[in-house]
Amino acid sequence: MSSGAEVAPAGAHESSTLVVEELVAGYGGVIALDGVSISAGAAAITAVLGANGAGKTTLLRAISGMIRPRRGRVLLGGADLAGRNPEQMVRAGIAHVPEGQGVIAELTVEENLRVGMMSWRGAMRRPPAGAGQARAANSRAERAAALDEAYERFKPLADRRRKLAATLSGGERQMLVIARALLARPRVLLLDEPSLGLAPRVMTQVMDLVVQLSRENGLTIVLVEQNARVALAIADHGVVLNLGRVVASADARTLAADVALRHHYLGF
Amino acid sequence: MVEFLQFTLSGIVFGMIYAAVALSLVLIWRGTRLLNYAQGGMAMFTTYVAIEVIYRTGSYWAGFVVALAAGIVLGAAFQVSVIRPTMNKPPLNGVIVTIGLLTLLEGLAGIFFGGQYRSFPAAFSVTGLKIGTTPLGVSRFDVFTAAAVLVTTLALAAAFKYTTAGLRMRAAAFNATIARLSGIRVARVLTIGWALAGLIGALAGVLVSPSTFLYPNSMDTIFVFGFTAAVIGGLDSPVGAVVGGLLLGIALSYVGGYLGSDLTAAVALGVLVVVLMIRPGGLFSATRVRRV
Repeated sequence: MSSGAEVAPAGAHESSTLVVEELVAGYGGVIALDGVSISAGAAAITAVLGANGAGKTTLLRAISGMIRPRRGRVLLGGADLAGRNPEQMVRAGIAHVPEGQGVIAELTVEENLRVGMMSWRGAMRRPPAGAGQARAANSRAERAAALDEAYERFKPLADRRRKLAATLSGGERQMLVIARALLARPRVLLLDEPSLGLAPRVMTQVMDLVVQLSRENGLTIVLVEQNARVALAIADHGVVLNLGRVVASADARTLAADVALRHHYLGF
Repeated sequence: MVEFLQFTLSGIVFGMIYAAVALSLVLIWRGTRLLNYAQGGMAMFTTYVAIEVIYRTGSYWAGFVVALAAGIVLGAAFQVSVIRPTMNKPPLNGVIVTIGLLTLLEGLAGIFFGGQYRSFPAAFSVTGLKIGTTPLGVSRFDVFTAAAVLVTTLALAAAFKYTTAGLRMRAAAFNATIARLSGIRVARVLTIGWALAGLIGALAGVLVSPSTFLYPNSMDTIFVFGFTAAVIGGLDSPVGAVVGGLLLGIALSYVGGYLGSDLTAAVALGVLVVVLMIRPGGLFSATRVRRV
């Protein structure tokens, strides 16, 4: 086991490409997603943009299994995962960070991080490189190493590991939820409004982190953002939703340069 | 003075039983926001199972262990068979189902075991202990009762705090969405919560029955007291449940001792109403933390 538990597999790229085809989902009688198709490339950031109620959050919820899609496919590395529940999705490599700095306030920082590793046992072990069984036997040491690595990367969390997550600042909470999601060792990271409610300086840090996760760790990132300007500045690709349908899908720079589109759907 | 000591000690013993019932209610409430009205009925039923085993084998401890095991099985079986289907439905559905279970269990107990009062044996002597010539008002069995609940509670608290399974249960109780997204199989965790609640309820049933007799409704009053204790403690907090149980046990013991035992049930209900009016979140509620 070389440098221990790296966050990303950085294996064959196709296996980390997330493709959503003709996804239809909703709540009760309301159709919130009406045949949405996107392709999120491996080791790239795909920004999903649009007004309130456009279906951005529903898209992430349908991908991670929090709601069951009525039709359509969710393909990761070619395998159709649509219809699986969240417990299975995270084991398949899709980690979803929901909106609102979702820490478990009643647990300590370290307990929150340990929750991030709950998908390990009985999971398809990744990266596949090398001894699967040795890893299983070594799982306690491996967990400790993964925790150390998280603290190394997110130093402010290390100082607060015994504190309740309720005591963290907004930026620290966002750090904690991302660290927890990474501990599941996903190939795909779904981020829902990570900048929400953060001070501008902290928001910049979070966006830098997102870039780092895709460039250095090779994670496939689907980033839902209300703040389209910020999202397009770091994204490789952009998808604009309106009333549950894709109205534009292009290179991030192309979208940012499209004045009409910006005025119409993105508000900047 | 001696009287006061006796009332206090016996209040602690009964308080521990209320604490056990309260704890079983809290374990289910935390995970599912459901009050299990069948908790007392489950405890009554497992105590009948115990008495049958004791009569057939002649061993108190065989009955004791079988009762606890039956509590686990009953709790898990109910959760999987009839509670799980109500989980995405309005909250009232679950409540009605537990009331239905209570009626079912009391009816079945009447059919299988008969409706008459039966005495239930105690594990140890029930004659009062004395220091010198001063009677303490509690027996060896009372000491065992308090100790059994205390040990169970501490073991449970330690398991919740220090084991991975305990962390899984707490995470699922505090935030089911995040727990599921992290890979915790919340449905399975809830079943385990019901199983543990069944275990602790069964313990309460076996411990209280030597002093109440056993009949199909015998746990009804204990359930009300346990529920009151849980509400005092805030329904969310295992520590609160135990403290609530002790406070209620001691208070009711003074009421029963000084004012007359006819008043205890009325006072318990009075306490319940007052707590719900003044501090609906209970004395140990984590509600405020939750809203942050």
